[in-house]
Amino acid sequence: MWLKRRTFLGASAATTAATLAAPAVAQAASVLKFIPQSDVTVLDPLWTTAYVTRNHAFLVFDTLYGMDANFNPAPQMVEGHVVENGGRQWTLKLRPGLKWHDGEKVLARDCVASIRRWGARDAFGGTLMHVADEIVAVDDNTIRFRLKRPFPLLPAALGKVPSNMCPMMPERLAKTDPFKQVTEMVGSGPFRWNAKERVVGSIAVYEKFQGYEPRGGVASGTAGPKVAHYDRVEWHIIPDAATKTAALQSGEVDWWENPPSDNAMVLKADKNLVTRIIDPTGLIGSMRLNQLVPPFDNPAVRRVVLDAVYQKDYAVAIGGTDPAMWHVPVGVFPPGTPYASDLGLKRFTEKKDFAQFKPRLEKAGYKGEKVVLLLPTDIEVLKAEGEVSADMFRRMGFNVQVDASDWGTVVERRASMKPIGQGGWSVFSTFWAGLDQLSPAWHVFLRGQGKAGGQPGWPSSPKIEALRQEWLAAPDEKAQKALAVKLQEQAFVDVPYIPLGQVFWETSYKKSITGVLGPIPIFWNVRPA
Amino acid sequence: MLTYILRRVAATIPVMGLVALFVFSLLYIAPGDPAAIIAGDQATTQQIAHIRATLGLDKPFVIRFADWLWQVLHGNLGTSIFTNLPVLKMIEQRAPTTISLMVITLVMSIAIAVPMGVLAAWKAGTWVDRLIMVMAVMGFSVPVFVVGYLLAYTFALKLPWFPVQGYEPLSHGVWPWLRSLILPSLTLGGIYIALIARITRATMLEVLSQDYIRTARAKGVGRRAILYVHALKNAAVPIVTIIGIGFAALIGGAVVTESVFALPGVGRLTVDAILQRDYPVIQGVVLIFSFVYVLVNLVVDLLYTLFDPRIRY
Repeated sequence: MWLKRRTFLGASAATTAATLAAPAVAQAASVLKFIPQSDVTVLDPLWTTAYVTRNHAFLVFDTLYGMDANFNPAPQMVEGHVVENGGRQWTLKLRPGLKWHDGEKVLARDCVASIRRWGARDAFGGTLMHVADEIVAVDDNTIRFRLKRPFPLLPAALGKVPSNMCPMMPERLAKTDPFKQVTEMVGSGPFRWNAKERVVGSIAVYEKFQGYEPRGGVASGTAGPKVAHYDRVEWHIIPDAATKTAALQSGEVDWWENPPSDNAMVLKADKNLVTRIIDPTGLIGSMRLNQLVPPFDNPAVRRVVLDAVYQKDYAVAIGGTDPAMWHVPVGVFPPGTPYASDLGLKRFTEKKDFAQFKPRLEKAGYKGEKVVLLLPTDIEVLKAEGEVSADMFRRMGFNVQVDASDWGTVVERRASMKPIGQGGWSVFSTFWAGLDQLSPAWHVFLRGQGKAGGQPGWPSSPKIEALRQEWLAAPDEKAQKALAVKLQEQAFVDVPYIPLGQVFWETSYKKSITGVLGPIPIFWNVRPA
Repeated sequence: MLTYILRRVAATIPVMGLVALFVFSLLYIAPGDPAAIIAGDQATTQQIAHIRATLGLDKPFVIRFADWLWQVLHGNLGTSIFTNLPVLKMIEQRAPTTISLMVITLVMSIAIAVPMGVLAAWKAGTWVDRLIMVMAVMGFSVPVFVVGYLLAYTFALKLPWFPVQGYEPLSHGVWPWLRSLILPSLTLGGIYIALIARITRATMLEVLSQDYIRTARAKGVGRRAILYVHALKNAAVPIVTIIGIGFAALIGGAVVTESVFALPGVGRLTVDAILQRDYPVIQGVVLIFSFVYVLVNLVVDLLYTLFDPRIRY
């Protein structure tokens, strides 16, 4: 996506004017009570990729660019940018009036330090750092990128919503070692962190930042004006799903981020509540095969498994019998998003004759090696996903051993590169937000760097890596889309992972509130109905 | 007596040391890696290794244990791996909830269970006795979380008398504090009431068959005086013992009750820490729980002297 200088400067001038005209919104001690998916134990959005930390970060930290509901980048903290020298130099201008929560003015050097810290942790950020010769603060309001080659995705990188987002923080905090947690929460977002009222495992409190000046326009995703309509946003940590349901029904809280499907059915029947999907990309199941150990070090065996996957089995096991709550078939990009393609997807919807897989496996070179499937039992969706996989492998004729444990143990064990007999593993499945698979730029599963990539399974595919590099340098959307199709085609040859279907999650809130945006829980724009 | 108390308090030190070593060893050999959990699902193995090194989780067992023990000896239970907050502060934040829950449960349970047990013994073999014992069996049999859900559904959702979840500190007023704890205490107290009532009944039956009770009756002493002055005091030692033993069950039950009613107590802190492998928090909480349990047992031992003057330390 190539962003024109005049388009951006024009748009930013209009938004500045609209900002000035925007009425100040203030209501007396209004509180929005929200139940998040889990407690936000880690506050630094670069120290973890946990979604709950990312959601917290969007309250506290602002970003240079936002991502609108159509997944396009749009200026947020920046007024606009200028692209020169054939796309090798980007000059970003900060919009006036930006302040940190400690009252200091946001300076370009703060942003440069923030970008560097992010670039050390995030994969897309790392790509940008690799391309950058120089990132400097030209003056208090101007950031300049000098690049080795054109990088048209720069706004998309700085405005990405999937973890790790690129949070802006004061230089003194941004200079913290990227592998050490920043615990002092000073951002420039529409809400400020209230550390005094924080009780881990119980409540997290955010207060409206009076010094925040929203930009103009229309709120869309994380782009547009971030107008806080509530004085306080309280995150109430409630561990039990039945208690969360009762708390929402009794009116003790206003909004529950992600009720499981059983509870969502109850909430949908409540006339005082709205229960709906806010993230069209949903959650996408993915199966990782360990390519370091037999039998999945053999691509031919992986391809047989790919053909055996019947995505509907996974979708129903996790999303239930209501077809509105899931979608199959799914390729390497979420259905309905810009890079999604139907190429090769027919295999996922064809009914399977499992008798044919045993000879195919033998022909592919499977010699009866033990297949160790890691099954997390404490996260319901992952347990269901793992059980469907175990059944499929058994029916295919694999020698399967299911190792059941909690997710914490799976996370540790899947990092092991050891052979099966020494605690190694063969396969595990997980569910990630569709947002994480929206673009080849940050699609972690769609990589083929082998051991160097550090992703459990260690998929190796030089062709996928080459196509990704081509995609990053593609001059326009047409070229990007064509390369995305090729990426899917290659993914079904090298099988770095197997998509298992898309499941949608719903959010539930009282009818007395309105303005709930997506695709993640966003707290600006929400207001009393 | 003072010497005895000091000796018992001093004896807790090696006990705590053993508990510390046991818990630390158990966590060391248990599977799970906090660095991997912190880094998140998308992190690379290199990033996880980097975080592990930053947190010192790659150091040998002896060094990690020595570091931790040294901190504990200086009154510092360490810092949470996840939140970076001092463990002591996290426990301090949570302790009032758990203490409130336990105190109310304890008082309520004793106030209900002891008269129930006494009455059952007095009316032994009658429908009153059987009814009380059926209630006690139910108290044992129905899981804590089922009781919790039923109470919350009835008295919070259908009849909005109490909150579904959450804790109001005492500083917000006695009634809001009490209101937030009534359902959790009833939930938690079920097993405890059953346990105390059964022991009280059994002990009272034994005492009521003693000669001195018969003598008291023959002398025309009133029923209430026989039960509560003569019999109950002599039955108190086993009852107090079971109250002390039941305290451990109370700690275990608090974990479930705090989860059902979303009470920010130490029980939930423990569960969350275990799921995340937040080692310093787990070690700190277990150490504190052990210390409290040892103290409760000491108090129980001292109470013996109050109820039975023949016991001397």
